[in-house]
Amino acid sequence: MDMFFGLAVSAILLGCTYTLVAIGFSLFFGVMDVVVFCCGDIAIFGSFAIMGAYVASQSAGLFGILPFWVCVILLILIGAVFCAAWGLITHQFSIKPFRNSSELMPLLSTIAMGTVIKEVLGLLFKPAVNTISTAFGGESAVTVVSGRNPQGFPPLLLPGGTTNARYLIIIAITAAILLLLFLFLNKTKMGMSMQAISQNKELSLMTGINVSRVIIITFLIGGVMLAISGFLVGSYQKLMSFDDGAMYGAKGFSAAVVGGLRNTWGAVVGGMLLAFVEVFVSGYIPRGTAYSSIMAFVVVVIFIVFKPDGIIGDKSVEKV
Amino acid sequence: MSGRSKLLCAFLFSLLAAGMFIGGFCAEAAEPVVKIGFLGPITGSDAAEGAAARNAFMLAISEANKSGEFPFKIEVKEVDDQSTENVAVAGAQEIVSESDIVAASGFWNSGPAAASIPVFKEAEIPLLIWGAIRESLTNAENVPYITRSAPTDKQENIPLAVKVLDEMGYKDWFIVSDVGSYGDGNFNAFKAELAARNITPMGEERVPEDTTDLNAVVQKIKASGAKAVYCGSTVAIGSQLKRQLFEGGVTGILYCGISGMKTEDFLKIGAESAEGTLVVSPGVILEDTTEGNNFIKLYNSQGYSEPIGAFTPYAYEAALILINSLRACGEKPTAEAMTKAILSGKTTGIMGTTTFNSIGQTENVAAYLNVVQDGAWIPLEKSEYKEGGKRAFGGK
Repeated sequence: MDMFFGLAVSAILLGCTYTLVAIGFSLFFGVMDVVVFCCGDIAIFGSFAIMGAYVASQSAGLFGILPFWVCVILLILIGAVFCAAWGLITHQFSIKPFRNSSELMPLLSTIAMGTVIKEVLGLLFKPAVNTISTAFGGESAVTVVSGRNPQGFPPLLLPGGTTNARYLIIIAITAAILLLLFLFLNKTKMGMSMQAISQNKELSLMTGINVSRVIIITFLIGGVMLAISGFLVGSYQKLMSFDDGAMYGAKGFSAAVVGGLRNTWGAVVGGMLLAFVEVFVSGYIPRGTAYSSIMAFVVVVIFIVFKPDGIIGDKSVEKV
Repeated sequence: MSGRSKLLCAFLFSLLAAGMFIGGFCAEAAEPVVKIGFLGPITGSDAAEGAAARNAFMLAISEANKSGEFPFKIEVKEVDDQSTENVAVAGAQEIVSESDIVAASGFWNSGPAAASIPVFKEAEIPLLIWGAIRESLTNAENVPYITRSAPTDKQENIPLAVKVLDEMGYKDWFIVSDVGSYGDGNFNAFKAELAARNITPMGEERVPEDTTDLNAVVQKIKASGAKAVYCGSTVAIGSQLKRQLFEGGVTGILYCGISGMKTEDFLKIGAESAEGTLVVSPGVILEDTTEGNNFIKLYNSQGYSEPIGAFTPYAYEAALILINSLRACGEKPTAEAMTKAILSGKTTGIMGTTTFNSIGQTENVAAYLNVVQDGAWIPLEKSEYKEGGKRAFGGK
């Protein structure tokens, strides 16, 4: 029973990290009908931006001036600015130019944009690692060659607290983000405009919704979500690699497909389902970890074949 | 043509002639060059080890050039394999296609080494492996082109097994490794050591190399009741597993592994998480020998940002072996002469005297154990974890 409970907690935590990336996919797909494949890379860029900002703010003595939690929120906001900027760059250079091309074009160009984001991180990220290292508790100085090395994520989530408390906060933050997103999508004019575009772009245009503005705001909101996702991934994983984005992108996309690509709640269900499959295969099948990702993708294939609209996705009906 | 134009033409011709003369003189005076290649993970997940190895290798070459002993300049063509097979193969092709290349030294990861070996064999350029430990890399088919100055995975696992199984007496094991060739070799080598002592592990797990969430494995280890965990993987898996074991409350056990984990990157998981990790390192304790101490002083005086890792001395030693072979080849070394010189040579360096057996594997095998104590790697015998010391490993 202990093992079952432990695995369930691990699955929920892993599911949280997949869910926020999956929601990014859902938001972008809903509004633009485009799979933005670099969502995972943008999220990881967000966590690296937070790491860089942490080092800079420590050097500037910000943590001595402002309360700790204010500093953490500021760092997440900096990460969000970077993620939103990458979102807008992606829209401007990888999606907009291919608006009238085959739907494969933006798909390929967003994959290419993911490579660009990853390589920018690998080439340009050079933190003052001594500071990050000592943030873990004053061990010997560790020097890093470049952004291609594994990077230690700073202890920004309840430093000094227990692991369980930190896990609870990760789950609580994910739940809070989902609630805020729900309220935004259903109770604000902008949110409802997003839903309208998601359901029928032509009709939305005819009713006077400024589609371009909504798209840009979607990228800004998506960027913020991905930055928070990057923060949670970093806080959970602790050791980050510049190329983690591809894996999170693949898992996030799979989660969105399983749940229903246009539905944000589908992303939650899909993220959790994938995480539970992975963790329980790993936990209960001897040597199962080697096959856990394979099993997760088998689930995706099953859904694509038997329920292509996802668990709670809308049935797409094409009128002739 | 006016007088002024004639003057201008004469001036330009003189300038051209002077240029040609100076150019010819320079060409005449240019120092002959002999090139050798270096390959390793200078960036990527194993960069802490690869970049330090590159520093040590370049340092030895630079010292040789400064000595004025050679009638040519030794140049190094450096390639970053990023621990990735296809990048390594492209890098190997880049090296063998260089003119004047007479030998190469490379690889910390066994996968990239195995993938690149055919390139060197086909080009008939000798490759001296400084850090990849999969046993099958050196064999009768690869000799004489492929030699290795580092020990094999089997040779590394034996001293660890003797310590933890025979001397410390651990019997309840859970073994973990990655599914890559490095993990595969170590998994089989340590399992063979357990089998030789009639010990069946209480659990075993193979994980993909890019796994970051090992909490399910932690739960399995917890449920198995194992008192010791062996991790036959590199720092990426090794450090995450140790951290997640610590955070999952699995602290009263022995956590041990192989040299791939003994990098500075491992310590990034934090002093508390990393504490008590026991790994085997190839070679000798440098501080205990005059040559080793001289190397440490020389390396540290260069101001490199990467500290000496487990295989840094091996990269330095590999450079010394190549330099010694160049010495044996005379004024105009060729790849063919270097192939023979490396295999039949005898080099005394910072790790002792290296000679190669009939399949190109070093006969100079040594290893020692290290432990993380207060956030730093320390030789076991010098730590508080040594027998009768102030601290004890878990699981006893």
